[in-house]
Amino acid sequence: MKKCLIFFEKQYEKFCIDLLETVNQMYGKNFVSYALSIDADIEVATDKFDEIILVENRQIICHNIHMITRIVEELHKEIQFDSILILATHYGRMLAPALSMKLGTGLVADVTQISHYKDKIEMIRPAFSGKILAGIINMREDTVMMTVRPGVFLYENITLKRTKIWSYMPDKIDKPKLELISRRKKPETRDIRDSEILVSGGGGILNDFDSIDELAKRLGGMKAASRRVVDSGKADRSIQVGQSGKIVHPRLYIALGICGVLQHVAGLNHVQHIISVNTNKNAPMCSLADIVVEGDARTFVDSLIERIDREKMIQEKG
Amino acid sequence: MNKEQILNALGTMLTAEQINTDAEDLYDASADRYKKYAKAKKVLDNPIPTAIVYPKSAEEVKELLTFCNENRINVIPRSGKTATEGGLENWKEFAIVIDGKNLNKIINIDPYNMQATVQSGVALQDLEDELRKIGYTTGHSPQSKPVAQYGGLVSTRSIGQFSTLYGGIEDMVVGLECVFPDGHICRIKNVPRRAGGPDIRHIAIGNEGTLCYITEVTIKIFKYFPENNLFYGYLVNDVATGIKVLREVFINGYRPSVARVYSEEDARQHFYHFHEGKCVLIFMAEGPKPIADACGEGIEEAVEKFSDGIIKKVDSSLIEDWFNHLNWSQKDIDDEVQEMINNDRHSGYTTEISASWEVIPQIYENVINRIRTEFRQADDLVMLGGHSSHSYLNGTNMYFVYQYNINCEPEDEFRMYHHPLQTIIVEETLKLGGSMCHHHGIGKYRNEWTKEEHGSAFYMLEKLKETFDPNGIMNFGNIFYQEEGAKFQK
Amino acid sequence: MKIICLIKFTPDVDAFEYDYENNVLLRDKVKQIINPDDACALGFALQLKKKNPDIRIEVVTMAPPSVKKMMEDILRRQVDFGTIISDPLFSGSDTLATSMVLGTYLKTAEYDVILTGNQSLDGDTAQVPSQLAALLEIGHMSGITNIDEKSFINGAPLVEVDTENHIDTYKIPFPAILSVCRESKYKLPFVRYADLDLDVSDKLEIVDNQILKLDIKYVGLKGSSTRVVKTYVKKYEQKEKIIVYNNPEGIETVYRFLKENGYLK
Repeated sequence: MKKCLIFFEKQYEKFCIDLLETVNQMYGKNFVSYALSIDADIEVATDKFDEIILVENRQIICHNIHMITRIVEELHKEIQFDSILILATHYGRMLAPALSMKLGTGLVADVTQISHYKDKIEMIRPAFSGKILAGIINMREDTVMMTVRPGVFLYENITLKRTKIWSYMPDKIDKPKLELISRRKKPETRDIRDSEILVSGGGGILNDFDSIDELAKRLGGMKAASRRVVDSGKADRSIQVGQSGKIVHPRLYIALGICGVLQHVAGLNHVQHIISVNTNKNAPMCSLADIVVEGDARTFVDSLIERIDREKMIQEKG
Repeated sequence: MNKEQILNALGTMLTAEQINTDAEDLYDASADRYKKYAKAKKVLDNPIPTAIVYPKSAEEVKELLTFCNENRINVIPRSGKTATEGGLENWKEFAIVIDGKNLNKIINIDPYNMQATVQSGVALQDLEDELRKIGYTTGHSPQSKPVAQYGGLVSTRSIGQFSTLYGGIEDMVVGLECVFPDGHICRIKNVPRRAGGPDIRHIAIGNEGTLCYITEVTIKIFKYFPENNLFYGYLVNDVATGIKVLREVFINGYRPSVARVYSEEDARQHFYHFHEGKCVLIFMAEGPKPIADACGEGIEEAVEKFSDGIIKKVDSSLIEDWFNHLNWSQKDIDDEVQEMINNDRHSGYTTEISASWEVIPQIYENVINRIRTEFRQADDLVMLGGHSSHSYLNGTNMYFVYQYNINCEPEDEFRMYHHPLQTIIVEETLKLGGSMCHHHGIGKYRNEWTKEEHGSAFYMLEKLKETFDPNGIMNFGNIFYQEEGAKFQK
Repeated sequence: MKIICLIKFTPDVDAFEYDYENNVLLRDKVKQIINPDDACALGFALQLKKKNPDIRIEVVTMAPPSVKKMMEDILRRQVDFGTIISDPLFSGSDTLATSMVLGTYLKTAEYDVILTGNQSLDGDTAQVPSQLAALLEIGHMSGITNIDEKSFINGAPLVEVDTENHIDTYKIPFPAILSVCRESKYKLPFVRYADLDLDVSDKLEIVDNQILKLDIKYVGLKGSSTRVVKTYVKKYEQKEKIIVYNNPEGIETVYRFLKENGYLK
């Protein structure tokens, strides 16, 4: 039986349970799962793990990485885990390397797939800013350690376990080396540079520019504009795409009635998909598009909205 | 004289509205587009002019120049403000910028004698609009048409996109009025031609504000036949092939209004939607229908003759479309400033040279090779190429175009990029006997090569300066090298 | 005050080109750049030094000797000292082995605080700073988007951190490692024109294993327990353009395209 420790991170409880699927792919069903919880909500996990280890001392605060590293070190000495999995959150990505140094164990970051290489577990992760994937193994016979991207594995096992819950108390408590002073919610982004989807209008939809709003809303994207529209006063400069506006890199760029002069196109950087709607299919913009829709931009917007809504209605009824 | 005394003196000559000492406007007036990046980033280190003044007549210009001449104050003549070679940059502690803004009257449009007379502050676009209403055109269309004004166009020897049919500005000016530093006002009368000694129009045309201030211009006008326009576009193997076709068209006596060849890199900038990674050759024929048609035939024949180097013909509507989006406006200039401020990048620079048919391809090759191997920041270049856009019976021009990622502080930008690049282009051109300045003027950053450009004939230029501007108050640093200004160049 | 900036030179990943025919990423021709996050960290240090000239900055990198020219370029920007940790024995080190090497150097080095980037462009792991903090037993914070200058000068900076959902402010007294990310917008100044050829050779030192004396079983390929055994190139397909009309059929094409690519939930 393999022994696997999953760090059960507060506020990411559901994603931590999903790590059981990662372990499944590593060992099949043949493992004992341990969750180490520091002040997390364990209720959701009580029938999922074999054992839950609670560290309940109030003085041990979550960001005290040195303390938590020591706790895992002590537990590991006792239990001898075969693998340690930590979620690749901001916190997990700090904890895991510290732990790997303390245990002297190799660590693989941001794993997104599990495979097998000879008799080893192959951990697959993106490298070079996601341009390639690398398959990595641990050469030594010791513990396998990794951080795993939240949300890529999905645990769907419904067999309930009788979870053993026990507390652990370290001998001494270290003072943390830093202190949380304040926490505030991240403001919502309203910058077109942060939007994954941009629905952008140009001269061809100048007179119905506001009609773009509804389409952008349905796609969960933002509205953008060419200089022509901004110059006419129909849109604010803050949403202008192009050399004199903003340089954007959405995954999807829908260009409605945009001719696509170089100054506009200079604002598009690494865009994955472009749809260009234009009455002139020879417009430069269309040369960059995955899909060219030859026709009037306004009627395109209306028809596409209608199509999206129709599907939604069917879904809701069904 | 100190600043206050100068301003007081100006106050006795002009009304308060004619004198501008707004800090932002003065900063703007201290340099032109040569240092556009440092300027946009607000780090210019050359002196700021004392005032910008807006005279309303040649008489007022006379009074201003006399005053500056007597008191040895630098004068920077200006109208339109689209200079690119440092022509409007100030290198003196005290300087008066004389702007043509108020010299804005179209004095006479005379279709019978096919000429129009304008004051020097009239925008080219305004005159063109007036002429179009009655079926005529100036025939002059530089990229800066919507912004440029006649004083600036004439004093820099400007050229337009249709030059191969209509000529450069020097072919259009019939007569003019200008004021010299000693206050003398000269009027050159408007006659079809004369053999009355050397053609003195050329003392004013292209003087770049170093000899006189131009206050009025009479230029030719032309009948306009847009309905007969014919467009041609081809993808060609290389620049040299394109130039061969251009030559063939011109030596056979055809006069297309547009005849251009773009290198692959430059073509990408203009024709990214159809150039397919190749060089682009384009023509436009215009004029009365039989002439336009004949010219079109001449173009097709020339293309046929060099068909080995022609890859394919391009849909002419694509070329026509492109022409309709060609000129930049004040908005484009402002936009670029925004781009520089926001994104730390600009749309690049150009350097324009000319030479005979024989050597122009060689110059092009030498320049590109030397930049690639010798230019220190070559890694930062994102675009290096060029096009030929103005052809003559005996040769053509080459417009080098370059763009780069700016990896330096704004203060250093022109020293790290534009100036070393321009230096290579100028040196290679002069080496093979070409001219280092086809149509932007010498300005202040090519003045170190003026002597070499003119060789033994520099004598004539020098004497003109000594004679007309003995105190050296006219646009200090333009055309003529000045030791004192070297610190701003190097 | 003495600041050590840990930097790394990485290939300019954004400039990788893709060979569609052979399904490979072309990474050889790409030039090396200073890792963007590291540039921000050094940018902050230099910005602070400008206002507090008595701050001393040492830049440390672990790299082959070929980075010397790039390192000199760094030293031409008011950096006081540069150290290249370099030994053929170190090549092939994974993050843990790298941290062992860097940590061994840092144990003997003098510093109040270590500034570095959050993660590297090529590796993306963000592991080294955290491993170093564990080894040196000093505080660490990653994902820093802002450092308060005044408290930094006083030795206990307030730093703003972008976690997934929150902006947290931490107080982290020296000695510590601060991992700064690109979003901080700290800018590494450029080498000035006048300094382009500045001789900085006396500011640069190369440290090899004769000096560090690490047991070779902890470093290099041998000392690395993790090893890349395979690489998978994501399938990129050359775009094939679809042209449709603005009619129900065309709308259906667009709709399906949006759906297939996950743009419609």
